Amino acid sequence: MTKKVLSNNLSGNGINTFPMELKILTSANIPTFFNNLLQSGKVVVAPVLKKNGKVYFESVESYDQVSTDYIQTVFSAKSVVFPKVEELFSYTKKEDGSVEITNDMSNVPETVIWGLRPCDSSAFNYLTEFFLKENPDSYYKTRKERTTLISVSCAKADDACFCTSVGLNPGSTEGCDILLTAMGDFFYTEVMTEKGKALIDAKLFTDTEEKSKEEFLAKINIKFSIDEVKERIQNAYESSEWKHESMGCLSCGACAFSCPTCTCFDIQDEGTTENGKRLRCWDACGFGQFTQHASGHNPKTNQTARRRQRLLHKFKYSVENLGIVSCVGCGRCIRICPAHLNIFENILNVTKA
Amino acid sequence: MTKLQNKVAELFENGTINLMIGFKNALTNQPVPCFIENASQAELLIYTPECKNNLAVYLHKPEVKQSKKIGIFGNMATLRSIVQLTSENQFWDIEKTILTIDANDEVIVFANMEELETYVQENFPDISEEDLKLLAYLDSLTREERWNYWTEQFTACIKCYACRAVCPMCYCSQCTVECNQPQWVKVSSKTSGNMEWHTIRAMHLAGRCVNCGECGRTCPAGIPIHLLTARMNQDLFKEFGTRPGFSTKGEYALNTFKVDDKEGFIK
Repeated sequence: MTKKVLSNNLSGNGINTFPMELKILTSANIPTFFNNLLQSGKVVVAPVLKKNGKVYFESVESYDQVSTDYIQTVFSAKSVVFPKVEELFSYTKKEDGSVEITNDMSNVPETVIWGLRPCDSSAFNYLTEFFLKENPDSYYKTRKERTTLISVSCAKADDACFCTSVGLNPGSTEGCDILLTAMGDFFYTEVMTEKGKALIDAKLFTDTEEKSKEEFLAKINIKFSIDEVKERIQNAYESSEWKHESMGCLSCGACAFSCPTCTCFDIQDEGTTENGKRLRCWDACGFGQFTQHASGHNPKTNQTARRRQRLLHKFKYSVENLGIVSCVGCGRCIRICPAHLNIFENILNVTKA
Repeated sequence: MTKLQNKVAELFENGTINLMIGFKNALTNQPVPCFIENASQAELLIYTPECKNNLAVYLHKPEVKQSKKIGIFGNMATLRSIVQLTSENQFWDIEKTILTIDANDEVIVFANMEELETYVQENFPDISEEDLKLLAYLDSLTREERWNYWTEQFTACIKCYACRAVCPMCYCSQCTVECNQPQWVKVSSKTSGNMEWHTIRAMHLAGRCVNCGECGRTCPAGIPIHLLTARMNQDLFKEFGTRPGFSTKGEYALNTFKVDDKEGFIK
C-alpha cells in the first residue's frame, strides 16, 4: 500500500515527513545501484537527452543512457501512473451472443522512476489524492503501487522554476520514496518509505547522520506569497485581468499534457459492435471542445474562460476539493507554451491588490 | 522610446488602431506576444531577432477580432502569412495595419496590400540551411527507412495540437479531428492515429504553408513536423511554380484546376 503522505503545499495542514533512514551512496557506486535496479527486473524510467537537445523521461537499459545534467524534463513522469492512453477494458462478442470483457492489469511492471525533481515527486501526492480519495481508481492504484520514486534534488534552476512559491523547495522529500542529494563525491540519501527501504543495498550504502542540504541546492527566489494568492484568488473570478492574461493563449494542450498534476481525461471507445476497447485519454481544458455539451452548448465560450479554469483549478478549486494547491512550480508549462504564457505572471496579475 | 514604440503610439492617438499585436519582454526574459490597448502601453514593444512567433495566428482569434482595428507587427514569417491569408480571403471582417522593421532598422507601415506584397517578394527567404540538410537526409533514405523515421517521431506525439494552434493557416472553425460523427481520426494518441493526424495536417497545408517553422519550433515532443510541408512546398514549386505567401492573388495547387496541368502521375 502506498504510504499516504500529504505534501507541505497543503493549506497549512501538511504533515511533515521524516526520513526512515539516512544513507550515503558514493558517486562511483551510482551506476552499480542503478544497474542493480535494472537487473532485478524492474522497468527503470529515467531522464534521457534526445537528439533535439531536450530531456525526456524514457525507459532505459543502462545507466549510460541517463542524463545527469538537466534542469527539468519536457514532460512530467505522470504517464507512468496515468498513461496518455490507458486501456480500461476490451470487449469481444462471442458466438453464443455473450460479451467477454477483458481487463488485465496483471502485466503492469514494477517500475522505478529515477531522477524526478522534488516538485515532481510531490505532484504524485496530488495524483494519489485525486485518483484514490473518493471512488478509488483501480488502474491508478495498481500502477502507483508498482511504482517507486527515486528523486534527485535540484542543484540548478532556471527562470521558470518557482517551487519555493508553492511551499516546496529544491530538496523537498514530499512524495518520493528515496531522495538523493549530490554533495560533492557522494549522494546524501534520504529513505522516506518502506518501498524505498527495500531498494537499499547494504553493500552500496553506508549509514550517516543528518546533514544540511542547503548549500547543495539551487537558489530559487520566491515569486509570490502562496497564502496571499490563496486568499486573493477567492475574489479573482470576475477580474478583468483574465482577458488580458489569456490573450496570447492559442488553445493547445501543451501545458496540461506536460503538467505533473493535470489529470483531466476523456473516455473514448474504439472498435465495432463485435469487438473493441474503451480507452482513457488525456484531455486539456485549453481545448475549445473540452466543455462542449452533447447539445452543442459550450459554457466556456472563449479562451479567457478556459485559461481562468486552468489557473483557478490549480490555486483555488483543488484547495477546496482536496486541500492541495495543485501547482508544484516545476515550470514546464512556462517553458513549453508556444505563446510563452507564464503561469506565475498570470497568477500575480489576477490577484494583485 | 524607440521608433517602433513612437509609431505605434501615434497610430493609437490618431485612431488608426485600437489594438496592437507585437512583442514584449517577459519575466523570464524572452520575447513574448503581447497585446497593447493604448498609446501609453506602446513603450512595452520590442523587436529582436529572437521574436520568432508568427503573430498572424492571432488575427483569427475571436477576442482579438472584437477590436476591429488591429495593428500587427510582422516578422517575415508573419508578413508571408498575412499575404497568404489575404489570397484566401480571410480578412473580410477586420481592418488591419501592418508594421515591420526593415534591415536598416526603419519602421515601415504598409499603406496597402500591394506594398506589403512587394516587400514580401523582395525579401522572400530561402528555406534554412538546417532544414535543407534534414530534407536532403530524409530524401537519401529508402522508403522503408523514411517510414521508420516518421513512425518513431510520431510515436512521441502527445496530440496536444500545439502544431495546429500556432499555425496561421489552420483556421477551420471545426477541425476534422474534432468530428466524431463520423470520427475520421482517433482521439487516442497512438502511433497510427498520430500519423493520420500529421498526414491530414500536412495535406491540408500543401501549397499553403509559408514555411514559418512554428509547428516544428513549438512541438513539445521535438518532432520536426514542419519538414512535411516544407517538402511538399519543394515539390509544388518544382511542378507548378507556386510559392505560398508570395502573392495576395496566389492560387494554391490543390484548389485549382487547369487543363494544361501536368498529369504525369496518371499511369
